[in-house]
Amino acid sequence: MEKSLTSVNMPAILSLIKGCVVSVGPSRSGSSLLLALFISPPVLAHDLFVDSQPLPQVLTATRLKQSPAAVPGSMTVLDSELIKASGARDISELLRLVPGMMVGNISGNQAAVNYHGTNATEARRMQVLIDGRSVYRAGLATVDWSDIPVAMEDIERIEVFRGPNTVSYGANALMAVVNIITRAPADSHGTRLKITRGQRGISDWYASQGSGWEGGDLRLSLSGQEDDGFDSNRNGADYRDSRRLNRFNLSVSQTLNEQQSIDWQLNAKDGTNQRPYTYRPVFAGITAAGDNSDVVAKDYAGSLRWNLDLNPNHSLYVQGSVQHWDRQQTWRACDAEVSFSPQLTDLWLLNPNYAEKLARNIPSFTGTGAPPGTPQEQALANQVLDQWRNGASQTLCGDIDQSARESRYDLEIQDTLSLSDSLRLVTGANYRYDRADSETYFNGTLDDTTWRLFGQLEWRASEHWLVQGGAMFEDTHLTGSSLTPRVAVNYLITPRHGLRAVYSEAVRSPDMFENNVNWSYQVTNLKPTAFGQSSARYFVQTRGPGNLDQEHMRSRELGYNGYFMNLGLTVDVKLFHDEITGMISEPLRNNQYIASNANESQFSGAETQFDWRITSADRLRLTYAYVDALASNALDEQPTARNSGSAGWLRDWGRGWNSAVFYYGADDLNGYRFERIDTRLAKRIPLGKANLELAGILQQRLDNQPTTFVDNRYDSRHVLYFTAELSF
Amino acid sequence: MLRGRSRKTPFRGRLPLALCLVFAGWLATIQVRAAEIVLTGVHNSPGVQSFTQALKALRPEDEVRFTPLASLPAPGKLPRNVRLVLLDLPSLDWRLQETQGPATLVLRISRQQARDRLGETTPDHLSLLWSDPPLARQLRLIRAILPQISRVGVLFDGHSEFLLKEIRQAATPLGLEIVSERWDDTSDSRPLQKLLSHSDVLLGLDDPDLYNPKTVKNLLLSSYARQRALIGPNAAFVKAGSLASTYSDQEDWLAILDDLLDRPAATWPRTLYPARFKVLSNQQVARSLGIEPIDAESVAAQLAEGEPRP
Repeated sequence: MEKSLTSVNMPAILSLIKGCVVSVGPSRSGSSLLLALFISPPVLAHDLFVDSQPLPQVLTATRLKQSPAAVPGSMTVLDSELIKASGARDISELLRLVPGMMVGNISGNQAAVNYHGTNATEARRMQVLIDGRSVYRAGLATVDWSDIPVAMEDIERIEVFRGPNTVSYGANALMAVVNIITRAPADSHGTRLKITRGQRGISDWYASQGSGWEGGDLRLSLSGQEDDGFDSNRNGADYRDSRRLNRFNLSVSQTLNEQQSIDWQLNAKDGTNQRPYTYRPVFAGITAAGDNSDVVAKDYAGSLRWNLDLNPNHSLYVQGSVQHWDRQQTWRACDAEVSFSPQLTDLWLLNPNYAEKLARNIPSFTGTGAPPGTPQEQALANQVLDQWRNGASQTLCGDIDQSARESRYDLEIQDTLSLSDSLRLVTGANYRYDRADSETYFNGTLDDTTWRLFGQLEWRASEHWLVQGGAMFEDTHLTGSSLTPRVAVNYLITPRHGLRAVYSEAVRSPDMFENNVNWSYQVTNLKPTAFGQSSARYFVQTRGPGNLDQEHMRSRELGYNGYFMNLGLTVDVKLFHDEITGMISEPLRNNQYIASNANESQFSGAETQFDWRITSADRLRLTYAYVDALASNALDEQPTARNSGSAGWLRDWGRGWNSAVFYYGADDLNGYRFERIDTRLAKRIPLGKANLELAGILQQRLDNQPTTFVDNRYDSRHVLYFTAELSF
Repeated sequence: MLRGRSRKTPFRGRLPLALCLVFAGWLATIQVRAAEIVLTGVHNSPGVQSFTQALKALRPEDEVRFTPLASLPAPGKLPRNVRLVLLDLPSLDWRLQETQGPATLVLRISRQQARDRLGETTPDHLSLLWSDPPLARQLRLIRAILPQISRVGVLFDGHSEFLLKEIRQAATPLGLEIVSERWDDTSDSRPLQKLLSHSDVLLGLDDPDLYNPKTVKNLLLSSYARQRALIGPNAAFVKAGSLASTYSDQEDWLAILDDLLDRPAATWPRTLYPARFKVLSNQQVARSLGIEPIDAESVAAQLAEGEPRP
């Protein structure tokens, strides 16, 4: 969850207000006045001319953020101007603006986002939060970017903490933290209606209503998104990866009194993600096939946060949230009847290699008999061969239910205490209960509980030196406990220019899937029946090892952040060396999944970002990352582009016209080059008290390569879409 | 302004004339000093008491006393040599009943409050001493602590709209652009959001309809979320989270009052912004916004340096 010490979003150690006062104006001789002068500053509180109205201290030491130069790490903030100008329809697309972020696609409705790298199909080493609530799935430990129940239009900003930070965000904040912050209800008053239409089946809509009352505000938003995904696969055939979804969001803030307030949210998302039929029959001669493995994806979340300001130097909050991920994936698959042979299942459990060899080459063994093996293996194999000869080679089709339902209950308390002018302490505790329910993946229900304690101290040793350190202790029922430390030293040359050195350790707990998967298919509605049964278990079964350890990350970073006020230029540079050991790199497959902690990766390089407001009308933004990846498993190395970056130019032309041009480039992302230019041109038209904005977005690919994977191909290198937004 | 500089004019060899002037001045002082100073307001609060005591200490030759408004007769019935000092708006309303009456100094009144009561006129029998920081000074404060910014956002409503012209006039020579937004309904945050997206800093007007304990949270949190500082509207807001403001406290007002009371009432200005002032900054907010620590003393001196002298 969002912690207050370690990101730009977080308060700094701030001194108590010092009445830095001095009187100027004509001096006056007269000793009697001196008397009044001496008592003046302390008397401020009872001053007839100063303290005329009792006001609450709003921007308190615990509420204020750190200045960018004082942040103990690397941070990229995507503000609302940038988000809008990018014209992006997906959060994952926005992350291309973050240096070092490797953004790709598994399919049109599945983004793969990694910071620096590691396996593209299982991007699971980044923490992703929406208003402090982790959207990392409980059981399958991935982030379904397309299914996150938040509309782009509701996002105020995205803060990306580039580096490990489990101390502040808990385990899984291994390589980076993406903190999505939605617009405060108080800042969302009025009505907004938006519609987007374009090529590739793009059809989005958004409607929101915000209003306020005495001490409270709310925002209700409804939205939908549709597109066709990629056009064709490697064979030129239509690629089944479109999506269609609707969302509901309600966000409410209520001030209870001067010290207390509550914020609560309800989020829901319901939609369909198409998936192609990817089952390849194991047995020879099977030609029948299903036509899809589409997913109905529903996400629900609710959270309640109680904020208590005990005094300007001490505040705490308690946040509880409930989330539910429902992935309904039932599809029809076909293979030979012998797939459901109990003997073949036994053989698989005895020796999966032997069973697979037999299954894949069964016609060649019908004449010769069972392949060489132990007598027990051979006996079972011969029984299977008999079944094959006796008609079990016939084609069967049945329903596979690969659905999963995951739930998470999370309760967190965090206390922020400003001990003095220069010392601040954040402490807290977190309890989490995760449950995953899937017949296919877990043969029922599996659950896990996690306890976490964390503390971080921020010490402003002097005007120039800032030391921030902390640790997290976590205990997980399924994988045990861990302690991770973190320390950062910032040297502030001036308040706007800071150098930093950061050392941190982080862990990632293996998810339930990796560690405890019990993967088998109970196929129903079989036609014709398998050995007389309409429901039978498919012979392949996979179990997780159950004893996986956590992955460990050690990260070292040197950085500089500076704001050149006269130029309007913000610069951030970072040098890094990260090592992950005990890596679980094996892809999640249902045939012979043998997970282990045997792998490791190293990432070193440099990143930089420039944000330059050249004039009041022009903004230039550049990012670049050089990442050198070295991994024991090739799959962890491939998604890393050695050179990647972005360049953007935003301009306000006046008279309601504004434009933005962005270039995104990565030289080798999972084996493919990616270069694209996005252009957005918008015109704002005032209509009385309302405002209409019309915009056109053109995305032009500069290369001819597939996107991240070989099947992700578009027919045309460009796409055009338009938006119309009315606000009043 | 009232800096008493005439008394420091060099003699330049015209001794007899100078002596005459000094004598006349001394006579005038004696006459003024003989005055009875009556402070009035509805409540004799601790703040009023401390102010009265301080003024007493400052002017031992005078008879300084606080009389609750309820105990005072109609203004015209008061002796002519009394110097009236009004400390609240009810006492102003009472004084406005009739033009007859003693010379009157009105303290703790803002431009907007005067405008609401008096319209564009300033009665001849009153001297209005403005409690709100002069806007030109606030703009120069912005220039001094945020030299890189150019667009200053100003929220206003029907009561404070009349100040816009003055702000614009003061902003032009400083190279500042005023972006204004009407905010009639403070429960609707859209005008605030719109203004924040088109300005670099927010300048608060001392308009209690807009800046009050109910709106302060939204104003400060919204502007802070966009990394925009609020300047003003007064010292109380700086404690709440505004970046800085100029202000005049009791000490400043005592000095100003002392100076005025030294002079014949006929020479009192009709309206006056205090030439004595201080700068108050919120160092926590400055640090968080990455602004160099504000040295209130030198900024105040710098602002005073740039003010037109009488």
